[in-house]
Amino acid sequence: MTSEAKTHAIDISSMQRDSRTLDLNEETLALEVKDLKLSYGDNEALHGIDMVIPKNRVTAFIGPSGCGKSTLLRCFNRMNDLVDGCNITGEILMDNSNIYDRSVDIAELRRRVGMVFQKPNPFPKSIYENVAYGLRIQGVTKKRVIDETVEWALKSAALWDEVKDRLHESALGMSGGQQQRLVIARTIAVKPEVLLLDEPASALDPISTLKIEELIHELKNDFTIVIVTHNMQQAARVSDYTAFMYMGDLIEFGVTDTLFTNPDKKQTEDYITGRYG
Amino acid sequence: MRQSFSEWTKSGAPWVWLNAGAVAICMIMVVGLLTLIAVRGLGHFWPADIVQTNYTENDNTIRMIGERVQEVEVPAEQLRDSGVKVPEGVETMDRVLMKIGNRDHGGTDFIWILDAFNSDKSKPEMLFAAERREWGNFYGYLRSIKEDGKVVASYEGYEKTEEYMALWNEFQARIERTLTIYDQIKDIEKDKIGSINYEMERLRLKERSLQLKEVTDSAPYQEIDDRRKELDMEYESLQGELLALYNAVNRDTLTAEIANGKIVEFKLAWVVRAFLPNDMSIGGKIGHYFAKIWEFLSEDPREANTEGGIFPAIYGTVLMVLIMSVMVTPFGVVAAVYLREYAKQGFVTRVIRIAVNNLAGVPSIVYGVFGLGFFVYFLGGHIDDAFFPEAKPAPTFGTPGLLWASITLALLTVPVVIVATEEGLTCIPRATREGSLALGATKFETLMKIVIPMASPAIMTGVILAIARAAGEVAPLMLVGVVKLAPSLPLDGNYPFLHLDQKFMHLGFHIYDVGFQSPNVEAARPLVYATALLLVAVIAMLNITAIQIRNHLREKYKALEM
Repeated sequence: MTSEAKTHAIDISSMQRDSRTLDLNEETLALEVKDLKLSYGDNEALHGIDMVIPKNRVTAFIGPSGCGKSTLLRCFNRMNDLVDGCNITGEILMDNSNIYDRSVDIAELRRRVGMVFQKPNPFPKSIYENVAYGLRIQGVTKKRVIDETVEWALKSAALWDEVKDRLHESALGMSGGQQQRLVIARTIAVKPEVLLLDEPASALDPISTLKIEELIHELKNDFTIVIVTHNMQQAARVSDYTAFMYMGDLIEFGVTDTLFTNPDKKQTEDYITGRYG
Repeated sequence: MRQSFSEWTKSGAPWVWLNAGAVAICMIMVVGLLTLIAVRGLGHFWPADIVQTNYTENDNTIRMIGERVQEVEVPAEQLRDSGVKVPEGVETMDRVLMKIGNRDHGGTDFIWILDAFNSDKSKPEMLFAAERREWGNFYGYLRSIKEDGKVVASYEGYEKTEEYMALWNEFQARIERTLTIYDQIKDIEKDKIGSINYEMERLRLKERSLQLKEVTDSAPYQEIDDRRKELDMEYESLQGELLALYNAVNRDTLTAEIANGKIVEFKLAWVVRAFLPNDMSIGGKIGHYFAKIWEFLSEDPREANTEGGIFPAIYGTVLMVLIMSVMVTPFGVVAAVYLREYAKQGFVTRVIRIAVNNLAGVPSIVYGVFGLGFFVYFLGGHIDDAFFPEAKPAPTFGTPGLLWASITLALLTVPVVIVATEEGLTCIPRATREGSLALGATKFETLMKIVIPMASPAIMTGVILAIARAAGEVAPLMLVGVVKLAPSLPLDGNYPFLHLDQKFMHLGFHIYDVGFQSPNVEAARPLVYATALLLVAVIAMLNITAIQIRNHLREKYKALEM
């Protein structure tokens, strides 16, 4: 680490990361975004985004409020389709096929691209039924399969030990942090390829936040993770790649270490050193 | 510390007093209403003492026996004007309504008398009251009991003696016997012969439908004829049994001395219940009271609805409300889901919403007229043409009945359910829906598995309001299905068990009928209150059940606290 790092708003040296160096050109790609434009009515929110999401890596989107990072994230599982008056052009390729193609089954897409929201949103059902929900939607009826998957998902979400004795109690009785991990368990139970996390820790206390971050570390072996965060330390701690967005444009995208220590663009530097945002 | 008026106003104290006052007035009115109908209605079942007096008016003295029902104060002037000799210097007099019964002998069973003209008031222990199947209550002294015209027991005096008690016990034993026989008669007449008649009617319809289809093969006709013969045989044998039972029940008669001293004789079979109110202990009275209330709740009405119970009306009300709920809930929910979840929000949905809300404000009688014109005559008429041509010209569904009454009330209450459901759907957090969609559920799956269950407490609120409105509604029912007296219950043991085409009785209409259409107003008045109380109780019960279900659902699907 260079001495320049000291001038940053965050302490780069505290970041824990893989010793091996990352290179975007060597990655397998999970998603490719090509000239994506999105507008709500007359108001264009994304002005032609081009980027890639590398497979089995954690990619973080950072940027000031309203920069379009959540909007972009929601494009990956077509959550914006639910918004009235939302118009999208461009392509997002997954396995070389455009997810915005007419022939795409949106439900199937969302099974492959799971999403966790800002606020924990467990269903008013038991813990077990929350995790089993996605499987039941897919038509899985074998109890043994469901039991195993629920256990696996809860273990993967580091929640099993806390809830194994009260699987059939309401999920609404859990703490906020537990609820968020439950939602993650619920999402990974359907074994998606990509996991979208929309500010997953912003509604949580520091301890719960830490647990979620540890969890992200664990999960990246099995899933491609895209995380939107307001918190630059968090982006620095958990991600391999970081994209900085500003006013609906992708300003800079690269390996997290490089982006935080040696950004190419002036705007990125201003943002990460806390001059605006 | 003194406070100026403006400070007092500013402090909000008068406002709090005003609010509390409004709440207090509401409470007093509700409690007052319930107390009034409870006291008037429930008092009716208490066995009142029978008073015997010598009544002297305008120099005529007669013996009078009866229950004191009501007292009012009247100005003496008014009495003088109507020709009553009122002593000088009297300003007002108490007038008493006496229930003297014995309508078969006196013509009326209620009479107004002036309390001051009574003398020698007494409450002889031997005076008995009898509730009868015909001619209302009887009051008098029991004199003898006859079996096939021969006296088996008798007593002449006015004192309570061993001999008298023996006569009384004989009387009670024989009432017991006739009641048992009546049970058998009822069993044969209502159930067995009822079933036979029902099947005969079905056979007739079957034969008619064969004729209409121009079936010439004689085998099915033969089958019908065979079955008909069997039923005829069964009917004949039941008829024989019935005759024997009627002979048995009419075996005994009793004689009794009535107020004017005459000895009268009538069939013991008329007596439903006989008791000595002046000789009853408080425990006996309480027992009698609850027996009467139970009779009121569980028996069929007698004597143009002025006596007996109102069970068919309770049954009809509850059944109609249940059928209405079963129809209105899915319909209202489905409509609300479309309006809120699928329809594109805009001018059209706004207009529809306004229309739905206005529908709730249409006077209920208008629904009755619509129900009669559209459901009964148009829909029912066409159903008859299509499915029941064999019954024509007698209508099956083309006449007011349970189904049409339920549908009319469902139409009346559907706006309530739609509005409540929409409200509930709006309250489901967007995050929860997105959570489900993000797991690969379609919109339909999300609605079915997450949104509608979560909105179910709100839906129940709608159903509760619908029940409250429908159960109390009378006006439209008078046009589309309610009758004064229904010969059979709409849900019974005859196939197809639930008779949606039948007319039924309803508590609300019963109140109207007993109160305003009754030939015997005085006798009916307490029943009006009792029925009103019961109607309130039935609605409260239905509502409490629905509220319990809602609370259960609320607990299960309590919304996220965020």
